[in-house]
Amino acid sequence: MQIKAAESTPVRIDASRFAVFWQSFRKNPAGPVGFWMLVFVIIIAIFAPWLTPYEQSSSASVGVADIYQPPNAEHWLGTDDAGQDVFTNFIYGARISLFVGFFAAFISIVIGGVFGLVAGFFGGRWETFLMRFTDVMLVIPDLPLMVVIVAITKPSIMNIILVIGILGWTTTARVVRSQTLAVKSRKFVLRARAIGAGKRHIVTRHILPLVMPILVVQAVLAISLAILNESALAFIGLGDPSALSWGQMLNYAFGRGAMSAGAWWALVVPGFGIVWVVLALTLLGQGLEQVLNPRLDTHHLMPGRPKVGGQAQGGALPNDVILDVRNISIHYINDGSPPARAVENISFSLRKGELMGLVGESGCGKTTLMLALLKLLPAAGQIVNGNVYYKGKDLTSMNEDEINQIRWSRISIIFQGAMNALNPVRTVGDQIAEVILKHEPNFPKPRLTDRVNELLDLVGIASDHREHFPHQYSGGMRQRAMIAMALACNPDVVIADEPTTALDVMIQAQILQLLNDLRKKLGLSVIFVTHDLGVVAELCDKALVMYGGMTAEYADVDVTYNSPKHPYTQELLKAFPDLTKPKKKLSAIPGYPPRLDSLPPGCRFAPRCPAAFDRCQREEPALHKIESGHFASCHLLEASK
Amino acid sequence: MTIKQFEKFLEVRGLKKYFEAGRPTLFSREKSLIHAVDGVDLNLRRSEIIALVGESGCGKSTLGLLLMGLESPTDGKVIFEDRDITHLNDDQRKDLRRKIQMVFQDPYESLNPTQTIEQILTEPLLVHHIGEHDQERSERVIKAMEDAGLKPADVYLQRYPHELSGGQRQRVVIAAALVLEPEIIIADEPVSMLDVSIRAEVINLLADLRIKREIAVIFITHDLGSVGFFADRVAVMYLGRIVEIGAMLEVLEKPQHPYTKALLSVIPAPNPRLRHERIILQGDPPNPINIPSGCRFHPRCPAAFDMCKLSDPPMMTLTKSHKAACLLISSGK
Repeated sequence: MQIKAAESTPVRIDASRFAVFWQSFRKNPAGPVGFWMLVFVIIIAIFAPWLTPYEQSSSASVGVADIYQPPNAEHWLGTDDAGQDVFTNFIYGARISLFVGFFAAFISIVIGGVFGLVAGFFGGRWETFLMRFTDVMLVIPDLPLMVVIVAITKPSIMNIILVIGILGWTTTARVVRSQTLAVKSRKFVLRARAIGAGKRHIVTRHILPLVMPILVVQAVLAISLAILNESALAFIGLGDPSALSWGQMLNYAFGRGAMSAGAWWALVVPGFGIVWVVLALTLLGQGLEQVLNPRLDTHHLMPGRPKVGGQAQGGALPNDVILDVRNISIHYINDGSPPARAVENISFSLRKGELMGLVGESGCGKTTLMLALLKLLPAAGQIVNGNVYYKGKDLTSMNEDEINQIRWSRISIIFQGAMNALNPVRTVGDQIAEVILKHEPNFPKPRLTDRVNELLDLVGIASDHREHFPHQYSGGMRQRAMIAMALACNPDVVIADEPTTALDVMIQAQILQLLNDLRKKLGLSVIFVTHDLGVVAELCDKALVMYGGMTAEYADVDVTYNSPKHPYTQELLKAFPDLTKPKKKLSAIPGYPPRLDSLPPGCRFAPRCPAAFDRCQREEPALHKIESGHFASCHLLEASK
Repeated sequence: MTIKQFEKFLEVRGLKKYFEAGRPTLFSREKSLIHAVDGVDLNLRRSEIIALVGESGCGKSTLGLLLMGLESPTDGKVIFEDRDITHLNDDQRKDLRRKIQMVFQDPYESLNPTQTIEQILTEPLLVHHIGEHDQERSERVIKAMEDAGLKPADVYLQRYPHELSGGQRQRVVIAAALVLEPEIIIADEPVSMLDVSIRAEVINLLADLRIKREIAVIFITHDLGSVGFFADRVAVMYLGRIVEIGAMLEVLEKPQHPYTKALLSVIPAPNPRLRHERIILQGDPPNPINIPSGCRFHPRCPAAFDMCKLSDPPMMTLTKSHKAACLLISSGK
């Protein structure tokens, strides 16, 4: 079983990880701006002796005239209370402030990181103890405590660093702990244990790499906090008198009459330094967080533009066709990259009481197609061509108000994953009642409870469960509640988007039975979206098989299963286990489904198709009508005609 | 490869795992117990494939974790190659880990996103200090990758998991189990997260490994349909117990336990012309905190009679290769 790895593997990201990181880092200008601002200060600090016109503290012989000189040719930024060059002190001050910032932040990050990791990873008593300790530290206000400690100990630069470092770890500990907990519960950690890896190995190789990004962001913020704290301490006179940091400069200028002498430069210059560095670090931290924190990952999507393209001609339709979809194409317009052609030229029609299966693998565009029917596409998705007729009315040209008359009350959706679609803090009955009232505001209140009970009864939930919350329901019951909601306004069409995918076989069978009963009882038309061919065979009248956003084959289910014409349908059926022939080996389709943002040039199935020939690589096949109600898009069909 | 013959390859006797549900509160000292695994007997033969089938919450995944030693049992015994491995700690179990490996359900979650495929696959070797030098380890990694169908291996080595498709990732997970040259692979729903067109590939791969490397597989799944054609035996679990176990064909053709019959009947037909009557059990499986009296299946059983409420059916041997626990059998009805 050899797979054609070279062609079928997804796009290779050639650039190194750093390049990838830098690329996304650059997307938000805040990050790079902060980064270069910081680099600038660091360079100044490193090259201080070469940049400054005077030796630092060369004020041995100063006259009164030298004090508080305004900026001039000799002293670009003036002089201070001791007649020293402010520019020189400013540059050297950067060294002290940055040194304190980095060193103190290092201490906080190490303590916070270790506490957070230990508490998160080992849990139990360690966690209780460390986290309670953290809580206590958090409620003690940092600055007053620092003032007390520094006042008691000798205010040397090392003491100040230690105090700031030791008091600044709490946030880091909490953030690291929660990230550690999140990483620890992931399956690859369990897999590492299964391999036989010890605790140290798991922490260093599996937990730490995923905690690191958050630690980096925390570190950047800790540096700016440390610089601010040092400045504050120095400003109130608790700095190291021998280390002239920016805070110390402020302290001296303020305490020795710079204000009354009108020597603004002695205050503004060090103040500017602090603001510059803190701003740089904040911007950098924000930029890093956006790239490194997985929870803030956003897609850069452009808002959709209105529909362009032609109007299809409405042909004669049988009277009982409720929903008629004609040549619909949907593209996702992404920032910069070419549009992803998620759905291309799909047509089908749905009769009253009909159950159609929409079959396809993940990413084939089936959910996109369903969302488009009700114009519920995300901002980037747009219908670029085609029409959706509901009882003869074109939904694609309706405005938001008009479509709202149709949504849910005429065409409703049962979403995948009932767990997430229900509000956990409200009773199920409440949520069903809300749906009714939203679409029929005049619904008589006294009858509301009866109606909710009726709906619950319809889906097989006893009415005494009406007042229960979703968490008191089992998975199958939640899915039934979702169905009740979808039926709340007596719709004609129900779209069921993989309603049984996460459920067990037996519950799945219950739900399928229910849907089938309901359509018979209520005359519902159902579109059943699924990846499971077995469900379609069991339940549906018609099947639309999608592949890579296109119709592969559209026919009555009997035809789909017994005389399929498209190679994809044929291969899919061979890959489907058949218990009536148990010892038969399954045949797999080599390769993988295409990604919609990098589709092959010709037929989308060609790279995996056993019957592909030259033309398939070059040209997209058209949809061929084989007989009434049976369509397939394959070049082979044309050749055989 | 010569294989030392052991009397018992992998044997499980009366295995139980109870979890505590909630801590005792101010008002009640009573702890309720979740009977996740409640007395399982099973033996696995060398290079045999057993399908372990049941609904979610029946304890099949917990059983897998118990066999891996990732959970410790409340009671019972696990014997591997004539050695009692029930209560080994992580250190004592380290050499065993080489022989029993696990493949998890979700290939998106079970690979560390910050490691390259090469790092992921070399890691087990480093943990076990296998291989004198990088060259030797790299040979083993490449062999495992090729056996797992990742060919040519060097295309994949420097990639990260997010650059691979679901099927490829699951192959990486399998390759990571293979580098240690295990004798048993416990596969917990290894295909349920994969697309239909690539499921067959992963299942075929596991079936091939048994032939190529004589690996025994415990294939845990809720979908009897997906394993029918390649497992040697099937064990059906309900609420922490095995209720029927037997050779695959025998169980498929003559299921004895009403639960097995129901499970078989709801497997979707592969063709609309074969639509058949389905035995759809109503309701959900009972809560494993309060196991029903007598036969634990009786509240949902379409064939239950009075005795079922009172008497817990013993496992009855039907043929040499087929057993089931149902009062219909033991009472001769």
